[in-house]
Amino acid sequence: MDGNIGIIGQVAFWGLYAGCIYILLATGLNLIFGVMKVVNFAHGEFLMLGTYVTFMLFTISGFNPYVLLFASIPILMSVGIIVERLCFRPVLGTGKLNEIFISLGLIYIFQNAVALIWTDEWKTMRSPFEGIDIPLGPVQLPLDYLIIIFVTVAILIGLSLFLGRTVLGRKIRATSQNRKGAMLMGINVERIDMLTFGIGAGLAGAAGTLWAVSGQVFNPYMGSIPAIKAFAVIILGGLGSIPGAIAGGLLLGLAENFTAFTLGGSWKDAISFIVLIIVLVVRPTGLFGEAEE
Amino acid sequence: MISPLAFLRGRACILIAGGIAVLTPLAISGNPYYLTVLTLILIFIIYSSAWNFLAYSGQGSLGHAAFFGLGGYTSSMIALSTGAPPIAATFLGGAVTAGIGGLIGLTCVRLKEWFLAMVTFGFAVIIQTLTVSQLAPFTHGWDGYAAPRLVSPEIPGYLFIEYYVILAMVVLTLGVLAILMRSRFGLALAAIRENELEARAAGINPVKFRLFAFIISAFFAGVAGALEICHFGYITPEIYGIDLSFWPIIYSITGGLGTLAGPVIGTIVVTIFWDGLNAMGLSYERFIVIGVMLILIIVFLPRGIVSFPSKIREFLQKRLSRGKEPEKT
Repeated sequence: MDGNIGIIGQVAFWGLYAGCIYILLATGLNLIFGVMKVVNFAHGEFLMLGTYVTFMLFTISGFNPYVLLFASIPILMSVGIIVERLCFRPVLGTGKLNEIFISLGLIYIFQNAVALIWTDEWKTMRSPFEGIDIPLGPVQLPLDYLIIIFVTVAILIGLSLFLGRTVLGRKIRATSQNRKGAMLMGINVERIDMLTFGIGAGLAGAAGTLWAVSGQVFNPYMGSIPAIKAFAVIILGGLGSIPGAIAGGLLLGLAENFTAFTLGGSWKDAISFIVLIIVLVVRPTGLFGEAEE
Repeated sequence: MISPLAFLRGRACILIAGGIAVLTPLAISGNPYYLTVLTLILIFIIYSSAWNFLAYSGQGSLGHAAFFGLGGYTSSMIALSTGAPPIAATFLGGAVTAGIGGLIGLTCVRLKEWFLAMVTFGFAVIIQTLTVSQLAPFTHGWDGYAAPRLVSPEIPGYLFIEYYVILAMVVLTLGVLAILMRSRFGLALAAIRENELEARAAGINPVKFRLFAFIISAFFAGVAGALEICHFGYITPEIYGIDLSFWPIIYSITGGLGTLAGPVIGTIVVTIFWDGLNAMGLSYERFIVIGVMLILIIVFLPRGIVSFPSKIREFLQKRLSRGKEPEKT
C-alpha cells in the first residue's frame, strides 16, 4: 500500500512539473489573446526555439543552464516582437481564419529554419544537478524538477507584479480590458500589442529553457503538441483568465501523467484533446471562463 | 446576374482545363513519374476541395487528415474483408467517413474559429492514437498493411487507367460541390459564414447547415484518402499526420479560399512549385519557402491566385483613368 502511495505521489509530482511548462505557455497565450484577441498556433515554436537557444548557448558557454534563462527570455522576446510586427499586425482584424493560417505559415518557417541550422535529430542536454534526488517520505523528488517548479512560480510572481504595479503593466491590462478606451487614453495600442506578444514569446522561451534543462529530448517538430496542450489549458481555465490558466495547467499535467500511467504512454497526447473536447462540449467558455458576448 | 459573356468565358475556361487534364498524360507519353505526380494532384484536388467546402461554410478545420485517413482505412478494410471492387469500396469508405464526420461534427459545429481548429486538430491526433493502440489488431499499428490497388498493376498501362478513373472522380466531386454551392443550401452556408446572426434572422438554422457541410466535406475527404491508398497500395498511420492536415489549407489559400476553382488552381500551382523546389535539391528550405509564401499570400493576396486577374484589371483601370484625366484630380 505504501508503495502505491509512493507511485501516485511520484506521478502527481511529474504532473506538477509537466504542468509548469504548460502554465508558462498558456499564460503567454492568454496574455496575447487578452490584448490582441489572437490565438497564436505557432506558440509552441517559440518553446522549441527556446530549447535550441538554450542548447546552443549551453554548448558555447557552459554556464549553468538555469542562468541561461536570462538569455533565452530576451532573445525570444525580440523574436516575438519581430513576428508580431511582420506577420500578425497586417492581418489583425481581417478575420480569425487568416490569423490561424498565418500561424500555420510561421510553424513551417520556424520548424524548418531550426532543422536547417541544427538538423532534425533528437537532442538532449544534461543538467548539472542531474541525478540528485531529494527524498520526501516515500517519494523521490529530483532536484531539477523542484528548481523548475520554483522558477515557474518566481516568473509568475514577477509577471503579476509587472502587470499589477508598473505603468506599462497597467497599460497592457487597460488595452486588454478595452482597446478603444485605452486608445482614447493615449495608449499606443499597437506598441502594446508588440510588447505583449514579446512577453508571451519570452514566457515560451523560459518554458523552452526549462524543458531543455529537465533532460527531455527535443527536435524541431516538438513544439506543436505542447502548444496545443497549452491551448487546452486555456480552454480548461477560461480564455483570458491567468489564475484559470494556472489551475488548468496543473489539472492537465496531472490528468496526462495519470492517463499515461493507466492507459499506456501512447495516450499521453490524445488525453489532452479528449479533456479539451469534453470541456468544450459541456461548457464552451471554459471551466472558469465567463460567457462571452 | 452573370453577363452572357462572362458565362461563356467561364465555360471556355472549364473546357480548356478539362482538355488539358485529359491530354496531359498523353503529352508526357506515360512517363510513370510525371503520371504519378499528376494522379496525386488529382487526388489532392478532391481533398482540398472537400476542405475548402467546409471553409466555405466559415469553418476552418486543422484536422482534415482525420477524414483523409479514415477514408483510407475504412475503404481498404472493406475491400479486403468483402472483396468489393476498390472503386465501390472507395465510395463505401467515403460514406463511413461521412458518418464518423457527422459524429465529430456534432461536437464541432457549435464552436467557432480557433476552438474549432483545435478540436478538429485534436480529433486527428485522437484517431491516430486509437489506430496505433487500441485498434492495432485490425490496423497493424505503425506498420500498416497492404491495400488493394485501384487498378491491378498487371494490366498494361494501369497508371493511365488509374489517372482517368481518378479524373472522373474529380469531375464528379467538383460537379457535386458546384451544384451544392450554387443551390439554396450553398447560399445558406455563405450567409452563415458572413453573418450568423442575420442568417438566423432569415430562418436558417446554422447548426444544421454546418453539420451538413461537415458531413459532405468528410465524405469527399474520405474518398480522396481512399483513392490515395488505392494508388499507393499501402497504408500506415502516417496518413493522419499534421502535414496532411495542412496541405489542403495551403492549396486552398494559395488558389483562393471559398471558390470552386481555388483549390484546383492552388493544388496544381503549389505541387508544381513544390516539385520544382525539390528538383533544385532543397529539403528544409522548401518548407520555409512555402511558409513565407503562405504568409505573403494571406497578407497581400487574401483571395488567392483566383483573384489575380481581377486585381490586375483593377490596377490597369486605375492606371488608365489616371492617365486620361490627370488635371482633374
